[in-house]
Amino acid sequence: MTFVLAVCVAVCFGVSVYLLLGRELKGVAMGVFLIGHAANLSILAMSGSPVPETDEAHGQTAGALLKEAPLSSYNTPSPALDTMVDPLPQALILTAIVIGFAVMGFLLTLLVITARSTGTLELSELAKDAGDPPPTPDRDAAGLTPAGGGA
Amino acid sequence: MSDPTNNWIVLMAVVPVVMGLLCVPLVNHHVACRIISQASFLTTFIVAVVLLSQLDTWGNDSSGGGGTSGGVMVSQMGDWAAPYGITLVFDSLSGLMLAAASLVAFCTTLHAVGSLPVRTERRYFHPLVNFLMLGVNLSFLTGDLFNLFVAFEIMLMASYGLLVIGGGKAQLRQAYKYVLMNLLASSIFVIAAGMAYGMLGTLNMADLARITTELAAKDELPVGFTALGLLFLFVFTLKAGVFPLWFWLPDTYPTLPISIAALFGGILTKVGLYATARTFSLVFLAGSAAEILVPVIAVGAALTMFVAVLGALAYTSVRRVLSMMLLVGVGYSLFGIVVMSDGSLQGAAFYMAQSMVVMAGLLLCCGLVERKTGTDDVGGMGALLQQPKLIGLGVMIFVGLLSVVGLPPTSGFYGKLLIIREGLTEQFWLVGAVALLVGGLTLLAALRLWGTTFWGPPEVSQATAGSDESDESKRAPITEWAGATLLVFASLAIGFVAEPVMSTAARAGQQLADRGAYVDAVLHNPRYAVETKVDKTQKDTGYAGKAQEAHH
Repeated sequence: MTFVLAVCVAVCFGVSVYLLLGRELKGVAMGVFLIGHAANLSILAMSGSPVPETDEAHGQTAGALLKEAPLSSYNTPSPALDTMVDPLPQALILTAIVIGFAVMGFLLTLLVITARSTGTLELSELAKDAGDPPPTPDRDAAGLTPAGGGA
Repeated sequence: MSDPTNNWIVLMAVVPVVMGLLCVPLVNHHVACRIISQASFLTTFIVAVVLLSQLDTWGNDSSGGGGTSGGVMVSQMGDWAAPYGITLVFDSLSGLMLAAASLVAFCTTLHAVGSLPVRTERRYFHPLVNFLMLGVNLSFLTGDLFNLFVAFEIMLMASYGLLVIGGGKAQLRQAYKYVLMNLLASSIFVIAAGMAYGMLGTLNMADLARITTELAAKDELPVGFTALGLLFLFVFTLKAGVFPLWFWLPDTYPTLPISIAALFGGILTKVGLYATARTFSLVFLAGSAAEILVPVIAVGAALTMFVAVLGALAYTSVRRVLSMMLLVGVGYSLFGIVVMSDGSLQGAAFYMAQSMVVMAGLLLCCGLVERKTGTDDVGGMGALLQQPKLIGLGVMIFVGLLSVVGLPPTSGFYGKLLIIREGLTEQFWLVGAVALLVGGLTLLAALRLWGTTFWGPPEVSQATAGSDESDESKRAPITEWAGATLLVFASLAIGFVAEPVMSTAARAGQQLADRGAYVDAVLHNPRYAVETKVDKTQKDTGYAGKAQEAHH
């Protein structure tokens, strides 16, 4: 099972690095999202196999018996240590997913605004324009200090 | 050992979040927002200073008198004992950084009140600055690696917001660099935190320090521990702006409104440096990992200083020159951190705090100059000292630049002196030599900047342009002056009354070099002594004990 996860993580990383090296911001953004997913999957792999190790050692059918949830209710005791899933990595992933979701929303919004304002999402076009820093009219009117973008 | 718990340190995180939330419904009443956020930063500053003054006797006044926890305040969230709950730790380094960051936030907000148009201010400027400070303060306080990630994310989300506030075209063109680089770093941070947990079974920094020390003593550090250190190094040095990873910084900062640039330039790089100092002194330089990591960091520090000072000499835009000088300071601090002796860490702590204040002050002064001259290119300035109204500004910038260079009466001197003196050892003599050379080149860059803008021949086009009719827009509001002046005076005060700051930095250096006090205060807190004993005797049924054991 860990092997499958490792392959998934590797594929996600490979694809995201490919996307990150692109020259177009939409693709780069997708690469960033994918690397976030790869990160979460790798944490899941860190939390150990979902199958109790004793089973694999005894040659029983793997997957038939999964680790239990780390919960104890009123009458039943919590599961024994080696048959219990480690909850902490999952808590970490949950946090990371929530943060990643917010960031994803922000980044896509930023890209939309950038595209509207500059008319392009190509990295080379954006870099080309950066040479001349004409402040937008509303900044001028607002009396804001001009930006020094001269590279 | 007495109880090091002091729950008042939570105020540092609570005040900005409450004030920030309070600003959200009031966002259209900009006067109320201004008062609220000024009050917020002033409160955190005062709390930091008061706590710092209590720190040296904290935990030593008990009858037991073991006293190893002296100088460290701890707060366990929800009263859960150390490795299980989230720990907040306030020691001398945290305190110094918190005080300096709050001061910078106070002054830059004061400047922003004058310089940002009200329309921009109403676009959630005040809530965003408060949330930024929440993330910054939490990063300085937290004693947990994953919580550090969360703090970084809070800080970054707010900084993304501030980055595009006002939404100028040039601003948007550069914003994606900052956002994408930081998103990449965050993903790697998550992976590294997950790996740290997988390898060592805990994310509490004190617990990590204890475990890695034990494992290093037995020479049994897990495979890949050095790689883990490198991953964290990548994340933190990218935030700090260390040489190969800094490229986003000189592009992004100069496009921002100047008060936000000062806020970012003063504080955000120092958060990365602080995280490096904290985690690498506690955890990642254990055992054989140091053999690889120390040279990497040392070379990074030397390259950062050297290339940055060349940049400072080459650029003609004042903002870019200042950004490069900021990065020179990052190189010095990193050098002090990597030498890892009492004195060098003291120097690094002092230098980080004073650099925050000085760089923010200089950037604010640069904003004032821009308002007068309408440009930030040195070609568009010249002989500014001939204008009587600008003499004060010239003196302020002169003092600030001297602090950056580190000439004796100013505050930069002490930090640089300590760092270079401690750094000239057999192992680091080359980096030390580079640091000395860079010191000279910084002086050259500073003289060039000040000489061409305030001394040099007057700019011809300026005389022809005349532009007396736009005098109204050139007159800076009083708050802009107040913010910049306050920071420059603070930096002078750090120089002339160096003793309290220096002794705090000295304690910070000792605490970083000898992690015993930190680990003891967090892990061996007598407040939880009974509970941990119960845990040990009931290991078979105690859930918390088992979750911990599972990963050993």
